Amino acid sequence: MANSGILFPIACPENPDQAAAKLCTRKVLHVDNASLQYPCAPINLMKEPVGILATACHLPAHKCTVKELFQEEGINLSSDVAARLGIEQVPIRNGQASETASNMAVAAGREALQRAKVDPMQVDVVVEYSIMPQEYLVPVWNMSNKVQAEVGATKSFVVGFSGGGSSNFMVALSATAAMLSENDSMKTALLVTGDATIPGNRVLNPADPVTVMGDGASAVVLQRGAPGSVVIDTELWSDGNNHDICYIPGGSLIHPDDINLYRMQLDKVRYDAFPKGETLRRMTDKLLERAGIKFSDVACVLCSNISSQDEAAMQQAFEGKVSPVCASNRESHGHLQGTDFPLNYLSLIESGSVKQGDYVLGVSHGMGATAAVSLLRC
Amino acid sequence: MNTNIGIFEANYYLPPTKKTLSQIFEDEEKPTEAFAANVDFEKDIGIEALHVAKNETAADLCINAAKLTMAKSGIDPKEIDLIIDFTSIPEDYVAPTWSAAGQVQKEIGATRAFATAINTGGCASYQTTLKIACSLMSANDRYNTALLIAGDKTPEFNHNYFPITVVSDGGSAVILKKNMTKRRILGVEVATLGKLHDMWFIPGIHNRDPKDIGGKFPRWLHVCGDIQRFNKELIPVNLFMFRKVMLSVLKQVGKKMQDVSFFIYPTFSAWDLKAFCEAFKVPPEKISTENLHHGHLQETDMVVGYVDAIEAGRIKDGDLVMLATNGAGFSWGASLIQY
Repeated sequence: MANSGILFPIACPENPDQAAAKLCTRKVLHVDNASLQYPCAPINLMKEPVGILATACHLPAHKCTVKELFQEEGINLSSDVAARLGIEQVPIRNGQASETASNMAVAAGREALQRAKVDPMQVDVVVEYSIMPQEYLVPVWNMSNKVQAEVGATKSFVVGFSGGGSSNFMVALSATAAMLSENDSMKTALLVTGDATIPGNRVLNPADPVTVMGDGASAVVLQRGAPGSVVIDTELWSDGNNHDICYIPGGSLIHPDDINLYRMQLDKVRYDAFPKGETLRRMTDKLLERAGIKFSDVACVLCSNISSQDEAAMQQAFEGKVSPVCASNRESHGHLQGTDFPLNYLSLIESGSVKQGDYVLGVSHGMGATAAVSLLRC
Repeated sequence: MNTNIGIFEANYYLPPTKKTLSQIFEDEEKPTEAFAANVDFEKDIGIEALHVAKNETAADLCINAAKLTMAKSGIDPKEIDLIIDFTSIPEDYVAPTWSAAGQVQKEIGATRAFATAINTGGCASYQTTLKIACSLMSANDRYNTALLIAGDKTPEFNHNYFPITVVSDGGSAVILKKNMTKRRILGVEVATLGKLHDMWFIPGIHNRDPKDIGGKFPRWLHVCGDIQRFNKELIPVNLFMFRKVMLSVLKQVGKKMQDVSFFIYPTFSAWDLKAFCEAFKVPPEKISTENLHHGHLQETDMVVGYVDAIEAGRIKDGDLVMLATNGAGFSWGASLIQY
């Protein structure tokens, strides 16, 4: 993507940056309605796109096999369940202070900034996208404030997002891209999460397991005008009828005293009934149409590492374009909540299987119930 | 940023049951630490009674406020593109896994909306959320109408936030729309001091002290403040940070402090309000005071102050209104609205 000031034709099929250019058309419309009359009129007021400068993950070195975890939680691991999950092992915190959720997030944040070669003082906003409960109760406390202090992003302010489950990363991505694009005083953002699973609650829905959750953290540095993957657009969706499809009741206002309810609970019947693949594909088609590109132009799709069953549904919805890195990371790490996408994205880039200019889709469904699709151009 | 985004409507809901301050102080634990400010916390606070929700949940408070605001606006819920929950204390279920945003979406029938929640900023979450909502609306043609909602139900016997304030229960909602010619949001500024992150927090059931189990109330859901650090680290920088965010947002839009016609400020206490007014030379006629009788309503203070001041005729067409607050994190926020 070119820098600000370079002229781009709008919606010209031969333009490799058509999607980004079309995206930017909207900005021009506010200023100059005349450009509406000329489909290929030059844009000279286009804002710089927002791109990914660096990504880092911090995962505990210690791992437990799924077999061990099922035994620990008193759940029978049948061959059928094992095949449906497709998870061999997950990273587990060792119980030391260095591996609290927020400390893992700090480590991932530092690593991402280092990889991006960004001085922490240049960070304008720290955006947090965790899913699991943190050291203290959110929203009075949020790890983003600690991350801000510990990575030395003293100039920044912080934002955290709740309620989107695995879609939280893309909610954060969308909101951050909007902030960097629309606020001249902001250029660089650090997105960060650290998720520590509740002990004894790693197998989601023991009666009919849906996934196995590990611990981990990740961070992404976004910058306006960054040379890396460009964040083209994000489509977000929620269904409030399913707000309580997955939640933690214990220790909340409604069940303040019941520690036995302090675990993630899933309504499996409603979870299964939620048309995840169809919803995500419909959203994708809408997003791609808006961006002016076809699904055949998409090089690959990254999904969450929930289970092999979930991935099969995604493969079906996305015509077999889900990248093999998802299956590989799922087998070796399990479901890492907000870190799934950054982990898969890193693996994809490191695999060399995408080249500059390739379009990559990130798709996710989460509690809320929410669904999210992000389009990147590498 | 698109400066044609404005506040289309705003309203709040307070549960009808009230509890006198003397009853609150009688029922709740009395802090033993000294407060640096030269005031009597109980006598000088300037708040006489609090609203206390009985059977209503925190989400109910949110939903009631959303419904009142929707009705006042005349907007069809299906027009709403974004719902953002900016509640700043724990909700009905544990966050960040759950937020009330989805439940509000369901209850008001905002079927087209995307629902999410901002969980930072404490009482300044209003400004953080304005910043996010305005950015999303400005960057995306498809987001034209946003509903911001909050609902706070204080855990039983935790209305005393010594040394800051005493808190009421309540909810608020704000509808933002594009292409507004009045009540436009000119700018929003937020600042946080992350080093103060652990000065104000709620432990949670996973950190509960075994000796608290079976007690009069779930102490692990109560706010814990480090009063020593509060005195040493927060009070000395508080007004400096307010100045920083207010001057910054004024600079963003090319205005000066003397251009501000009216200030909306939280109802922490009478002495806190006095300190703010003295520091920034704000005369009584230029700042919200009507809302003090409701008690402190966390992030909802910004909405209550705004609505009450309009209803009292204290904000007039064309007035430049500064909404400024601070909150856990610690955070400071300022936003400017051209009424």
